[in-house]
Amino acid sequence: MNPASPPAAPSAPVAAAASRRRRFRLGVWPFVAIFALFVVVALAAPWIAPYDPNVQNLFGRLKPPGTTARNVFYLLGSDELGRDLFSRILYGARISIAAAVLSVVLSSIVGSLLGMAAGHFRGVVETIVMRTVDIFLSVPAILLAIITVAVLGPGFLNVVIVLGLTRWPRYARVAYGQTLAVAGQPYVRIARFMGAGPMRLLLVHILPNIVGPLTVVATLEFGLMVLFEAGLSFLGLGVQPPTASWGAMLSVGRNYVATAFWIATFPGLCLFLLILSVNLLGDPLRDRLDPKSR
Amino acid sequence: MVLFVLRRIGQALIAIFGVMTLVFFVQRLTGDPTFLLVPETATRADIEAVRRSLGLDRPLLVQYLAFLADVARGDFGLSYVQRIPVTQIIASRVPFTLELAGGALLVSVGLGLPFGAAMALGRGRASTKLLTGFVFASQSMPTFWSGILFILVFAVWLGWLPPSGAGGWANLVLPSFALGLLSMATFARVMRTALLDELHKDYVRSARARGVALPRLFFRHLLRNAAIPLISVSAIEISQLLAGAVIVETVFAWPGLGALTVQSIVSRDFLVVQGIVLIGSFVTIGLNFAADILYSVVDPRIRLDGGAA
Amino acid sequence: MARKAFLRAVLAATTISLVSAVTAAAKDKITIDLVNEPSMLDPHTQWNPDSYFVYRNIFDNLVTRDDAGKIVPQVAKSWKYLSDTRIEFALRDDIKFHDGTPLTAEDVVYSVKRITDPAFASPQLGQFNKIVGAEATGPATVVLTTDGPYPVLLPQLVKLSIVPKHVVEKVGKAEFNLKPVGSGPYAFADWRRGVEVTLKRNDGYWGGKAAFPTAVFRAVPDAATRLADLQAGTADLVVTLDSDQARQLDASPVAKPLIVQTERVAYFALNSTKPPLDDVRVRKAIALAIDKVGIAEGILAGGEKVVGELVAPASFGWTDGIEPFPYDPAAAKKLLAEVGAPAKVKMGLATSPVYDQKVVQAIQQMLRDVGLDVSIDMTDMATWLKNQQVPNTEAPMLTFSRWSCACQDADGIMFPLLHSSSAWSRWKTPEVDQLLEKGRSLLDEKARLQAYGAVHAYVKENVPLIPLYQAAIIYGARKGLQWTPTANESLFLARMAWKD
Repeated sequence: MNPASPPAAPSAPVAAAASRRRRFRLGVWPFVAIFALFVVVALAAPWIAPYDPNVQNLFGRLKPPGTTARNVFYLLGSDELGRDLFSRILYGARISIAAAVLSVVLSSIVGSLLGMAAGHFRGVVETIVMRTVDIFLSVPAILLAIITVAVLGPGFLNVVIVLGLTRWPRYARVAYGQTLAVAGQPYVRIARFMGAGPMRLLLVHILPNIVGPLTVVATLEFGLMVLFEAGLSFLGLGVQPPTASWGAMLSVGRNYVATAFWIATFPGLCLFLLILSVNLLGDPLRDRLDPKSR
Repeated sequence: MVLFVLRRIGQALIAIFGVMTLVFFVQRLTGDPTFLLVPETATRADIEAVRRSLGLDRPLLVQYLAFLADVARGDFGLSYVQRIPVTQIIASRVPFTLELAGGALLVSVGLGLPFGAAMALGRGRASTKLLTGFVFASQSMPTFWSGILFILVFAVWLGWLPPSGAGGWANLVLPSFALGLLSMATFARVMRTALLDELHKDYVRSARARGVALPRLFFRHLLRNAAIPLISVSAIEISQLLAGAVIVETVFAWPGLGALTVQSIVSRDFLVVQGIVLIGSFVTIGLNFAADILYSVVDPRIRLDGGAA
Repeated sequence: MARKAFLRAVLAATTISLVSAVTAAAKDKITIDLVNEPSMLDPHTQWNPDSYFVYRNIFDNLVTRDDAGKIVPQVAKSWKYLSDTRIEFALRDDIKFHDGTPLTAEDVVYSVKRITDPAFASPQLGQFNKIVGAEATGPATVVLTTDGPYPVLLPQLVKLSIVPKHVVEKVGKAEFNLKPVGSGPYAFADWRRGVEVTLKRNDGYWGGKAAFPTAVFRAVPDAATRLADLQAGTADLVVTLDSDQARQLDASPVAKPLIVQTERVAYFALNSTKPPLDDVRVRKAIALAIDKVGIAEGILAGGEKVVGELVAPASFGWTDGIEPFPYDPAAAKKLLAEVGAPAKVKMGLATSPVYDQKVVQAIQQMLRDVGLDVSIDMTDMATWLKNQQVPNTEAPMLTFSRWSCACQDADGIMFPLLHSSSAWSRWKTPEVDQLLEKGRSLLDEKARLQAYGAVHAYVKENVPLIPLYQAAIIYGARKGLQWTPTANESLFLARMAWKD
């Protein structure tokens, strides 16, 4: 959601960050805790889930929280196929978080490298990379999603690929702008004068100075990726059933808001808290890492 | 500078050509509309006849060249599904897209800027924390969920607003909020950061030391200086709005380009998709182009002539 | 035989007029939520439910089906077979198109020739291509010729819309598509692209005046929104709800579900050309492993009837003689144990979002429970269709689908799914081919039933695919709407009324 940061000069980043460090107030720790909890839950799902998340019980459909049907205790109720909602939420954490993390990692690496290369080498590389960015920004994400599913087939990895394909231009633009700004700084010129090769320049002198803004973008993108994964599920292009993801559960559950509110409410709440916690972490992080960020 | 602009325009045209070529071929990897147009009982011969009547039996390269020739003449062809000119279909949707984008922008800017200003100026207060919480929360729900909740609460239970479709201005309210709230947080946060940055600057400090009232300072100086980052966010946010509109329009049965995009891709109405993408790429590339120019105005160190800095 | 049909037609002619005689409370406008907007309203150029719902109200057909599903006269007063391949229709002479010109034999001949002309490339051609000749033998008599004895002619004619020759010839195909003119109970009024189609009542309709002066069809893709529209009073009738949504309406003070058992059959297709499905034991095991009653009563609960035949009771060809496979997972496991390791191959279950995913996931679970390795492959509809109509070697192993030919005849379902010439069929035996060809070329109903009965027995024995249940479809309506939906999924406004 953050704009492509105009390539502001990263003037004396360390000092500025130090002066604002106190902004990392106590207030954010609950959100760190929530996020950490979700990650732990995702990792430990197989050990803490009371039931198999995919086992159906057609006689225990749409049971409200706290009921027991056929020897299954539905702590948070059951879904439209009588599956235990609590277990599905635990397992769903894995898919929702993993899809977001992997797609952020994928798109940030690809985007940053290309963007840095464009900003550093300029010329032909710049033209090709930045125009490719334009091309990808112009193609509707849903088109990319349908094509990926039609060509590669459906599945979790392909969801990650779709998300990565759609979002790398975002990082490329930021990395490009930041690299342009950094490249003009005296220490880079000196390094170049001292005979540093392009790889060394990029990785040792430029990357460390732009990693802050990129991290900020990544935290903001994380929330978006969680939302996008949910959106793909809504359009029928997400992870394959019966695999649980919060987005998929929510997109089914929204049909039951009036009769079985729990199916949408609990995964929705988790999704909400996950995005909220990461976004709330992102702002202080930005204050620390990217003092001039817009 | 002029040379730069000309070159960038040239590059933009090549990029748009690239988009069109990519979309043309890649779409056709996903099958064609014929199976969706015929009854299940259709025989292979029936299917072939329909495919031939749509010109989809020709070799891909021939179709591509024909498409390029048509586009060069400003002809986008007939929709495979509706058999009326693509331009007519798209033109009928553009007003709705503009209405929704306008409505959503009004919500996001109209709420985002005051909220952002309040967050910056009222730092530390309990009410500000509450506001911050609300701003972040508005960005943490998928629109397909918030949208149906809006419909149930405001249309079904309270009966204040129509649940779906296009008609009067009342129909625009719910989708505008569903879509606009997502970007609202961004505007609020950008506003907040920009104002905070300005507040730390010397001229503000000295002005305040001289006893200039904050409101006066705010409207005279702060707002103008904060405007630059806000303008550049707008470029990105508008294209985000158009992307987000796909789901919002589906939920609210709003007849804009987003809903048309989904429907055309799902029904493999290739020519309509190509038309939409062409318009979309003009808008996106145009906005990015404008943003690039704007950067150079903001920060003269970014030289536009492309030479090594 | 011919006389019987004639007699039946005359009898029915007297009953059809009752349908529109229902008196209605005043309601100026009925609003109907469809899923998408119609693609085209020229009745001969498209085939999709959204267009079908709308244009069927603008046009008349030679014959139609009454609410009980019986074929009754519409434009044709009566008909008789001149020979096995020639059938003569006597037309009403009091029908006027919306522009005031009378409907004549010329219009009927023109309509038939238009849709059967290969150069016209109508997507519906396959439903009418047995008709090789149409001639007006008098001002109100038409003779149709088929290329052989064709028992499904009348069921097909139920959806052959009669268009006005003079208008189509004058304005051309493109313009007619924008401003269709018919003779039906409603006339086309306005089409705001992407928003809604408006029809106006044809006050001079020969069959009596319909209840609502105006009808508006809107496109609302999201089922949850359609449901909300109904509850908020924005829509009076919405299509395509699922059983859980119907249950929500049961409790609603303002709306109600309208459920009808259709001619649509849900079935589970098996690619029997590839291992392990080339082994009849595996196919039988799958048939035994699917809890059809559990699906029909536990998940759907819309009164779906479990069937053992590949045709719904609402269609011709239903013999009621074949028991569905029982749900017997133990027997299924035993069969699979006999087959051993080869049965454990990973198999894909092809599906698309239009199918009820609850059913698909339930079937996957049932097959996993007996030890089969089944994964769901969900794609969008276009990809799903493309993947179905390919050579057997590439076709999906397992498919859940629902089929209707909109003709209420076994020929429209069983021929495409089982005849070796069809792209959908994974079965190739001369025996089945012969029976199916008999079924579509004998005029004698008993002999036809016998042929289909033999195919039903064959399907039970060899399990080329598994019939599951007769599918219900669910509409939602405001409490005041009086309407009996029919098995052929038509939405005739003239048969609706309103009572506050």
